Amino acid sequence: MHNIVLFGGSSHPDLADKIASRLGLPLGRVTLSKFSNKETNVEIRESVREQDVYIIQSGCGHVNDNFMELLIMISACKIASAAKVTAVIPCFPYARQPDAPFKKDGTPLSRLPRNAFKGYSSDTPYDCSASVTPSSEIRDPMEDAGSNYAVIRSVGGYKQWIARSGTLIANLLMCAGADHIMTMDLHDPQFQGFFDIPVDNLFGQPLMIKCIKQTIPNWEDAVIVSPDAGGAKRATAIAERLRMEFALIHKERRSQNKPHKTDLILVGDVKDKICILVDDIADTSFTITKAAKILHENGAQKIYAIITHAILSGDAIQRIKESNIDQIFVSDSVPQDEHLAQCSKVCVFNVAPLFAEAIRRTHNGESVSALFEVMD
Amino acid sequence: MSSNSIKIFAGNSHIELARLVAKRIGNELSRVTVLKYSNKETSVNIGESVRDEDVFVIQSGCGEINDNIMELLIMINACKTASARRVTAVIPCFPYARQDKKDKSRAPISAKLIANMITVAGADHVITIDLHASQIQGFFNVPVDNLYCEPAMLSYIKIHIPDWKNSIIVSPDAGGAKRATSIADRLNLDFALIHKERKKANEVSRMVLVGDVNGKIAILVDDMADTCGTLKMAAETLIDNGAIKVYAIVAHGILSGGAIDVINDSYLEKLVVTNTVPHDDKKHICSKLDTIDISSTLAEAIRRNHNGESVSLLFHDDDTPE
Repeated sequence: MHNIVLFGGSSHPDLADKIASRLGLPLGRVTLSKFSNKETNVEIRESVREQDVYIIQSGCGHVNDNFMELLIMISACKIASAAKVTAVIPCFPYARQPDAPFKKDGTPLSRLPRNAFKGYSSDTPYDCSASVTPSSEIRDPMEDAGSNYAVIRSVGGYKQWIARSGTLIANLLMCAGADHIMTMDLHDPQFQGFFDIPVDNLFGQPLMIKCIKQTIPNWEDAVIVSPDAGGAKRATAIAERLRMEFALIHKERRSQNKPHKTDLILVGDVKDKICILVDDIADTSFTITKAAKILHENGAQKIYAIITHAILSGDAIQRIKESNIDQIFVSDSVPQDEHLAQCSKVCVFNVAPLFAEAIRRTHNGESVSALFEVMD
Repeated sequence: MSSNSIKIFAGNSHIELARLVAKRIGNELSRVTVLKYSNKETSVNIGESVRDEDVFVIQSGCGEINDNIMELLIMINACKTASARRVTAVIPCFPYARQDKKDKSRAPISAKLIANMITVAGADHVITIDLHASQIQGFFNVPVDNLYCEPAMLSYIKIHIPDWKNSIIVSPDAGGAKRATSIADRLNLDFALIHKERKKANEVSRMVLVGDVNGKIAILVDDMADTCGTLKMAAETLIDNGAIKVYAIVAHGILSGGAIDVINDSYLEKLVVTNTVPHDDKKHICSKLDTIDISSTLAEAIRRNHNGESVSLLFHDDDTPE
């Protein structure tokens, strides 16, 4: 292959290596570091003039740092006269509205007493108590008397909302100079429309189907389960392909004021069956562990889970270990080495071949359609 | 019914400065919650209506820079999509300002990228202080107010440095000569320059003094103090050449890494920085650190922008007779 350069960002060097070796190319030399004041420093060590550049960076780990690194690399290649710059982003950052920031026991952070922010579960505790302005303390009469909740409540009919950054991220990538985006299993397929440049949203489905057929015994008699209503379409697509049965878990919200107290209802029959939970993202893993519990209570024999983007932040691994899930299959769009070491239930399937094929075909100007079909 | 009032939102980089600015204007800080999700993505929750309001987002390029940049962009974007009349990004210390030219092959011009990002996020106006190179204003297609600390620095020198009339203004490098001569002219003082040779980033090797400092108080003037290697070597050079005392006045006191130890170890009498970058926690371990409060400059700029008045007065020293 001529006139092509691959660069790996610092979010997932392992995947970049695998993709490069699959393509039979060396990874481009780049030095990524930080200055003393934590600004990102990118030094590209080989010529990219008139080359087809692919930058592999996943939206995981320190998301903002990795995202800035990606933007600076794209910009650097563009002003160094690269012919085309493609951003390969296996796990797309800011692709969805995550759950409200949670404390360990599941209480949303926004309802915590201000001095409890230090107990936020994450490896780097983030002190955000100062961002809640003192003048906004309005006591919530629904909570117990005597508690010190700094809840920002609706005032004057104004309903609070959390900013959704999807369009912003798309615009930032385009303004940095990206000509093409390659990603996998976007949470909202409509995200492609936020861009003015071509976006290849590769499917993890063929890999998932291969994984099911190869590793789950008696898969023909199993039931595909979607852990929430939003993922129903995804799960039914797999169920139809494999001619399997389908079930759904539905979150019924009881009261408006306590949205974190919900009832989970199983729609469908799983008694004495093998269940396969299918979802695209597992972050805090509340969704799949709670779903597994419901399945277990309803008589499921064995419970598997297949997740494309297993971010598994905070205490997620601990939760999975203690849950009713027997085995969880995840892709390596997000680095999984730590998760593999911590939990024996985790099994990884590789996405490097998928991306390598997509890069090869894009570079050669061939059709990528074949990647969307199931390989038997 | 549109109210078109000033709404000031503070990011997490420098809430103290934002509070001071809001107080000067006579407002409270507007309600916003900026947190991180479990997977480290930034979450911004705007706590009050900004429809048809004049929004100012105050975020400095310091601390966890990339996180703070993302916070700034998401806040600007959120206010824009919430139908704010105008969104102004107030960025006291502009991030990546030193990566402003392609000085070697394939070097990114990150300052240009940041300018593009801020514009794309939806900012209509940018207010900043003492840009590393004022040409960075040209990276933007929206109006940029590059405010100067000079009046505040002049005032500090006159009030806090005894015997300032017997001092000499020194620039620690050739690039800052223009800045230092401007101050020297205003105070009617002499000027000297130190020429340095750099081998690696953040590492200085040899310094040569151009000018005479014998028997005088030397006042070093610069725009940034990051690792402070430059200031330490400059102070040594000045003392070796006969200066009685050495002060340093710097606009942005980034003071990263082992800078505090370097300062404590040096011949500097005092290091004076403005509060564009928070450094209160460093004052406990460094008695040489002193602060110039520029919240009044920012507050004035915000007020005048909102009322449609001229900001020119902020660029001139009010010439007080001796």
